Amino acid sequence: MKSILRFSVGAVLSAALAAMPLVGASAKDTVKIAFIGPLSGGTASIGVGGRNSTELAIRLRNADPKAKYTYELFAQDDECKPNVGVQAATKAAADRKVIGGITHYCSAVAMSTVDIYHKFNLPVIVWGAVLPDITYGNDYKEVHRVNGTMINQNQVAADFMTKHGYKTWVILHDTTDYGKGHNTYFSKYLTQDGGKILATFGVTSDQQDFTAELTKAKELKPDVIYFGGLTPLGVRIRQQMDKLGIKAQFQGASGIVSDAFIEGLDNKLAEGTLAFREGAPVEKLPGGQYFMKEYEKAKFDQGADAYGPFAFAAANLMMDAIEKVGPNRKKVTAYLAKVENRDSIVGPITFDDHGQNSVAAITKYVIQDGKWVLWEDSEYASGERKLAGM
Amino acid sequence: MTQVLSRVPAFAVAAVTILLGLAFAIVFMEQESDVAVISLVALAAVAAWLGTRAGVADRVSAAAVERPGSIALLVAAAMLVLIGVFVEDHFPLLMLATVMIYGTVALGLNIQFGYTGVVNFAGAAFFGIGAYTSAKVVDSGLPAILALPLGAIFAALIGLLLVIPVVRTRGHYAAVVTIAFSVLFKTFLEVNDTLGGPQGLSVGSMKLFGWDFGDSPTFGDFEASFYLNYALAALVMLALVFVLVRRLERSWLGLSLDAVRLDETGAACYGIGIRRSKIFAFVLGNAIIGLAGALYGSMQGYVAPTSFTFSDSLILVAIVLLGGMGSPWGTILAAAIVVILPEKLQAIQEYRFLLFSAVVIAILLFRPAGLLPRGVRHYFPPLRKGAEP
Amino acid sequence: MDLLGQYLINGLMLGTIYALVAVGFTLFFGVLDVIKFSHGDVLMVGAFTGFTAASAAAAIGLSHPLAQLAATVVFALAGTAVLGAVIAKWLILPLKTAPRLNILLATLMLGTALREAVRLFYPDGSNPKAFPALLPTTAWQFGNFTLRADSAILVVTGIAVIVGLHLVINRTRLGLAIRAVAQDEETARTMGINYTLIVLVTFALGSGIAAVAGVMDGLYYNEINFGMGLLLGLIGFSSAIIGGLGNLYGAILGGFLFAALQMIGAVAMPFASAYKDVFAFAVVIALMAWKPTGLIPERSSDRV
Repeated sequence: MKSILRFSVGAVLSAALAAMPLVGASAKDTVKIAFIGPLSGGTASIGVGGRNSTELAIRLRNADPKAKYTYELFAQDDECKPNVGVQAATKAAADRKVIGGITHYCSAVAMSTVDIYHKFNLPVIVWGAVLPDITYGNDYKEVHRVNGTMINQNQVAADFMTKHGYKTWVILHDTTDYGKGHNTYFSKYLTQDGGKILATFGVTSDQQDFTAELTKAKELKPDVIYFGGLTPLGVRIRQQMDKLGIKAQFQGASGIVSDAFIEGLDNKLAEGTLAFREGAPVEKLPGGQYFMKEYEKAKFDQGADAYGPFAFAAANLMMDAIEKVGPNRKKVTAYLAKVENRDSIVGPITFDDHGQNSVAAITKYVIQDGKWVLWEDSEYASGERKLAGM
Repeated sequence: MTQVLSRVPAFAVAAVTILLGLAFAIVFMEQESDVAVISLVALAAVAAWLGTRAGVADRVSAAAVERPGSIALLVAAAMLVLIGVFVEDHFPLLMLATVMIYGTVALGLNIQFGYTGVVNFAGAAFFGIGAYTSAKVVDSGLPAILALPLGAIFAALIGLLLVIPVVRTRGHYAAVVTIAFSVLFKTFLEVNDTLGGPQGLSVGSMKLFGWDFGDSPTFGDFEASFYLNYALAALVMLALVFVLVRRLERSWLGLSLDAVRLDETGAACYGIGIRRSKIFAFVLGNAIIGLAGALYGSMQGYVAPTSFTFSDSLILVAIVLLGGMGSPWGTILAAAIVVILPEKLQAIQEYRFLLFSAVVIAILLFRPAGLLPRGVRHYFPPLRKGAEP
Repeated sequence: MDLLGQYLINGLMLGTIYALVAVGFTLFFGVLDVIKFSHGDVLMVGAFTGFTAASAAAAIGLSHPLAQLAATVVFALAGTAVLGAVIAKWLILPLKTAPRLNILLATLMLGTALREAVRLFYPDGSNPKAFPALLPTTAWQFGNFTLRADSAILVVTGIAVIVGLHLVINRTRLGLAIRAVAQDEETARTMGINYTLIVLVTFALGSGIAAVAGVMDGLYYNEINFGMGLLLGLIGFSSAIIGGLGNLYGAILGGFLFAALQMIGAVAMPFASAYKDVFAFAVVIALMAWKPTGLIPERSSDRV
């Protein structure tokens, strides 16, 4: 008797617990925008900045009474790893309520996920990855990009460095598609401009010890050591260069233009590092002041970092599309294909037949006193300070 | 309560439990909010505890002994129903297929150390071998259906490389061999460009006699998710492997394997070939793992070295331990918990490795037998229906 | 020649670190017959503790590198010693009678738990942290070959720690007790040795040494990250095995041997220095196939 009583009480309790999930309100008219970027790991500062910027765009749009839909951010972390990115992309794309994606800073991840977006017909706008193949390596209508590619970046870099009198290089690059892409383009333009490449080394993206490569580089006595890859490795290479007593100039690509690079080294080591990035710095962008003001007001606990404005522009463009044609993936894709001279905070956006926006400006940076400073504004340009080997 | 239940045929009790489980699963997979998921999990825990107290668990295991075939069929049917309910949604089907694939892998691992005591910390590496084989096969234009058996064969072959150190060593030393291999595997793939390097490879979808798994099956204007193909394939694969494992256990071969695990010296004295048994278990287990890996690679559409790290091997081992070593049903249940729970509870997604390690340590300290421990071997099948074994 | 010199210094450095980790493994195995796989991650915790101490010292105004260094080492040592003892008391001792596989798994999982805990709960844990350069960085040039003072100091310190450990084990009463417990637990107990205390002290000692290795690693690479323990632990374990578990000198030998293998791999395969790990581990696996219980075989008896 007692056990039956106990059993029934248990059953009733269980039923009550089970009823809970069924009581839930669901909002209508909500459209989800997915954001995928590195929210953890060595490049997290850029990813979080991008996410905050996308969230800012969504908040501003939701506060706009004229908006037809309420937007919701669906943020996923790709950890800058291709396989995690694939899972995140599948999750976002498989959710039918997600209509558009603002995707990827790490080129390696972006390369692996384009197939998924195509498979699920999800329109995406890339906000930070610079590998050209992401848009040019395929014919997918779903993939677009608002920031520039590394082709321009490396062209300007090669030109700049050879004009300043450097003659010999040793190239280190990481073995992901990103690093390999930098190697390909930089080598091409450098040889065209007359620079000599003494050796090229590929390193894994989580490599700790560069003694083998740097010792050989030291033997060759190059003027410049070029690194095509991301911040964490850049920090290690620069430190180990110093340990081995290599006095060459250190040159990097857009991957090391981040605050984390400077924080990882002490000021003395970071001083004088050169890097190149596509797109103008925030202050000089057409909508830059507006973006910075709104970002300040929103009181995020982290800065927008280098690519925040691009994520903001991409999100706004996506939401414009949804406002115009409704929450339908195929229609949004068709709409984005026709974007021409659209105003945004990063300048006018035009997608070519591969969904690529052309961004002409390439910014040259040098680290001065622990900060990334524009070359033109720096004391190196004016001659007050000298670069290594000059 | 126990008396009431003992008058009901065991099979009926088992059937009702399975049906309840199915209903629970359907409701569970539908939930999105963390609160709902946690309350459902609590509900399941409470129900399980109450059920064990009331003697339901004993009846169900009695049924499993009496009519193993019917129970298995019932569960398979329940899985089909579950797949059918979610036929249009991508993500639930993807999760179900992943559960079944992981379940298959865990069954393979079970043969290795649940039955034979050969520790294998490189499960994820062999899984990866299967997946990479699938990638290469589909790319090279061979009929894609060959990817599955080829994945199994390659995993077994590469496992053979390790066989000498694995068989000659014992305990910690054996562990270090497989751990080293697991770490090696990832590094080897990353520096090697022919297998895609750190970027990995994208895998075309599986094609079976002209039916491309990547296409969504459409019936009229009802479009199912293309994951349906993979889910069904995974279910078939799991069923076949499950039957294989059960048969193996009941056979004299399984008896020898158990003997090797429990007491090597004693088994050797009785003429059981220790080396042969270990090699057999290792190779068979790896083949199964490779098979599952091939299907997984095709389903994900993408393989990369970082998907198959040592931590992933540890999760696979955790699944086997959580379910109960040597217990096939427990393994599948554990696989379901380990795969689905972190997906549903977004909040714990980040913490999942930490949580799993903590759970496994707790299990090892307090309940080393696992969730559904493997019972004592039944030497004689029941003579009559309903008779006590 | 200079290239060789550079590699040699690097090899010595790494060998010292590996030897220190291997010594821990061997100590634990000798005393309790267990392999504590979480050793590498305990090392990582030690490195992080030291890092926190250094940052805290800098924050409260102790900016002299020597003061920071002292703070780092002391806190790292203390922290890991306590952690090691806690692990011994609550995880290893209770599982002493369980099947070998269980302890293996338990310590592996503990290692994972430590790694994840640091990654998740330490502020910005998933990012590598720049370890402050606390040693003098004057460099001496021998032709084309640069020897930095900090590398030299680290190697000397490592060797000093190993020698110190040798002295403790062989010349002190504590060492005598440890050796007694390692040889035969029951007899040691009957001789009046406090078994539990000795076990805890051994674990604390081994973990402290690991902390030194962790701090050294941090000082050498100027960087620590949450994943450093996994590979180091595995390498340390392989080194201990090469030399034969339970044998202190074998562990040290194994450590330097593994570093030598890595250097050979790096020199022989310059196009991808990451292959050096593959090469070194492949050699270890082959060694295990040839001599299943290490170069200096383990003597064990089985009651049938």
